[in-house]
Amino acid sequence: MTAPIRIAHYLNQFFAGIGGEERADVGVSGREGPVGPGRALQAALGDAARVVGTVICGDNFINESPEAALAAIVAQLRELAPDVVVAGPAFGSGRYGLACGMVCRAAREVELPAVTAMHPENPGALAHRREIIIVPAGESSTSMQPALTGLARLALKLGRGEPLGPAEIEGYISQGTRLVWDRGRPGYQRALEMLLAKLHGRPFVSEVPFRAPERVTPALPIADLSRARIAMVTTGGLVRKGNPDKQVAANATRYHRHSVKDLEALTPEGWEAYHAGYFNHIVNRNPNYILPLSFLRDLEGKGQIGPLHESMYALPGVSTPVAMARQLGRAIAEDLQAGGVDGVLLVAT
Amino acid sequence: MRLEMGSFPVRTISFGPATRWDAGHLTVDRAAALAEVRRDPRIVTAGLDIAAPGDSVRIWPVRDVIEPRIKVEGPGQCYPGICGRDVATVGEGRTHRLSGMGVVEVSSVNWHDAGGDFVETYLDMAGPFAEMYPYQRLQLLCAVVEPDPALSDESRNDAVHKAALTVSDHVARATAGLTPPERKTFELTPCDPALPRVAYIWGVHSPQAMSGSLTAFCTATYGLTQLTPPWVLHPNEILDGALTGPYRTAFAMSWTVANNPLFLDLYRRHGRDWNFLGVIVLRTEWTTQHEKQMIANQTAKTARMLGAQGAVVTWDAGGNEFIEVVRTIQACEQLGIKTVFLTSEDDATDGAPTMLEPLPEADAIVSTSFFKNVTLKVADPGPVSRVIGLERKIVHRGSGVGLHGGSDSALPTAGTLPPPWRYDDHYGFGSLSCIE
Amino acid sequence: MISAIYTFAMTTGANRVIRGARIEHVCGDPSLGPEKDYAYGMRIVRKALEAITVAVTGPTLFDPQAGDIQEPSHAS
Repeated sequence: MTAPIRIAHYLNQFFAGIGGEERADVGVSGREGPVGPGRALQAALGDAARVVGTVICGDNFINESPEAALAAIVAQLRELAPDVVVAGPAFGSGRYGLACGMVCRAAREVELPAVTAMHPENPGALAHRREIIIVPAGESSTSMQPALTGLARLALKLGRGEPLGPAEIEGYISQGTRLVWDRGRPGYQRALEMLLAKLHGRPFVSEVPFRAPERVTPALPIADLSRARIAMVTTGGLVRKGNPDKQVAANATRYHRHSVKDLEALTPEGWEAYHAGYFNHIVNRNPNYILPLSFLRDLEGKGQIGPLHESMYALPGVSTPVAMARQLGRAIAEDLQAGGVDGVLLVAT
Repeated sequence: MRLEMGSFPVRTISFGPATRWDAGHLTVDRAAALAEVRRDPRIVTAGLDIAAPGDSVRIWPVRDVIEPRIKVEGPGQCYPGICGRDVATVGEGRTHRLSGMGVVEVSSVNWHDAGGDFVETYLDMAGPFAEMYPYQRLQLLCAVVEPDPALSDESRNDAVHKAALTVSDHVARATAGLTPPERKTFELTPCDPALPRVAYIWGVHSPQAMSGSLTAFCTATYGLTQLTPPWVLHPNEILDGALTGPYRTAFAMSWTVANNPLFLDLYRRHGRDWNFLGVIVLRTEWTTQHEKQMIANQTAKTARMLGAQGAVVTWDAGGNEFIEVVRTIQACEQLGIKTVFLTSEDDATDGAPTMLEPLPEADAIVSTSFFKNVTLKVADPGPVSRVIGLERKIVHRGSGVGLHGGSDSALPTAGTLPPPWRYDDHYGFGSLSCIE
Repeated sequence: MISAIYTFAMTTGANRVIRGARIEHVCGDPSLGPEKDYAYGMRIVRKALEAITVAVTGPTLFDPQAGDIQEPSHAS
């Protein structure tokens, strides 16, 4: 008969029964066995596992002095020698959620499997979901029971050393990584089944959850355009005629920087488009359509903009994975910043 | 519109003195079939070859795979309109099909010269790569044709596709006077008014904007691939091949369009699970936001005018075409039409979103996994004993798309090759998907 | 960012988006003839320059077809 899995449970000051907001500053302490909701956790775990001890910390203390708090927490955990660390559930409490996140990550760093539970929109989930296993829970402790059931199930799996499957299957919050997965039934059948569910008001799960694109803080405006150094970037696949730099037509892994120092305009003799995503011939006849050199030179000559930056940047923006686009964009931005550029016109096709 | 479809299963194909079908065996009079092909003066060389499931054979370049179908009663011609064929409206009477086989269009003719799109598909008949596609279970009759190189791109595309259709018609005609072993009637019978009314919004790529050509490639509607407003088709028109054409992805060739399992199941379960209203063809790759939004609005409006309460949506392209497709979904949802979107996904490196323009209205998505073979980590298919078509395959630099700038390797087709760039299961044939 | 598919640019987070003519010819339109083509392109570019002199709080569309073009400011 195997020994029960040893569980260490992390709680904040409130769930540990120390006190509410006014005791959020308490430091780290440990108690034997389960405390507060730890008892219900024990019930959910049954005989297969034992909550050997509870580690407690005030939400303010751990958030304000994380290094000190985590060092003390890890020390407590080492003493308990658990197989798995369970933190929370934190429900909708932001500081508690962040605390549980930090505790789980610290546990992981000392090779202890860990799992927590909180509302998917808890700041702790947003901050830590990519790194740790988080069981989705409701906003308030009225959903304590299902949260503990979820925690118990995953804690037992982790404790047994069983590999965890994808989030959608195991029921934890997505870590944001999409993996190839055989769903066992052809896509057309799943689509028609989803259609019937949606039409009849039955629940269904989209195989691609909606993720809002990230927001970017806008740059401050330029105060005086006539003194501003302006640069050009294009994702229209502009290349030198004949493509001597051997840029690809799609799936770019690099950009090319070209000098426009002595050029008044882009000519078809010097430049062309090489981009697998649109009809290139029009730009081949007038490359300024995707890199407005002729127009900006005109305005530079009239003093309406400051110096037109000598370097311009080009790549074919088609089939570029977002991660690659991010990398290329960052590199171009750094280059532009080093060049003292104030404003950029980016033409996308 | 009532259509009776007679199916003649093909279990083996061989060459013989006369073209006939007998108890699952198709004999092809090679000389006669090729003589018909050669009647087109644009064709310079033509040959026929056979590939059977399990053979160690590789077919390259594959521009289309066509299931032979002919009208035996009723107006028009199967695969209407394309390559100058009869434009009479199809979908009525009786049609015969040779099931379990395909005619493969094999030619070095590329789609167009406007940059970047190259014929990429090759088919194996055995091995893990072959198993990813439905073709390895079919008997394939390969029409290897080359046109006069002096002709324009349009003429050459037209000539080789017409040649493949000629071979398809030739073998299908063997069933003309015969009784089909399998028969099925297709009609949109009146059904219980309580059943939900659903439409199939079928996105098809246009080569118009990309290539400056109206005939380069793509699934055509009665032969037209240009950017046209949403087009309503009766499902029987699909069965008679109204949507057809050579294409760059294996899963949207004429065979997979005519055997689209999503479409067939929608039709099969009409009167039982829903009232299937028909197909709305959404032509894609408009090149301004204005046009993209307009076509989305009009497609949704068309669905509403048909009375749709729900719609399944598919598309067959990549890139900015996604915008009009997802905005059609948004427009439908805003009109109260519940949509399900069947689509592949792009790279998810570093947790990046896998849809070009995520919109909250697209809340019911079925994923057929990453569309690039490189993201799927498909192993390079290994060597084969025989090649049908060209002995060398140009492997383009970088992604597998791109010819300029040298360093394209011409590899022996019979050797180990990288897989084609795109996998892309547009109609949900397979169970490969993604998960988090 | 100058783009013909501007709504998409805004949905995906670009803050200053200028409506371009068409994917195949973003800064201009060859069907207008050389003079009007150049004038159209210049209108688009000026609008883009206006956009980088204006404060925005999130994705904002600058349409060269709409309203008056503000001349880029210069020190006098």
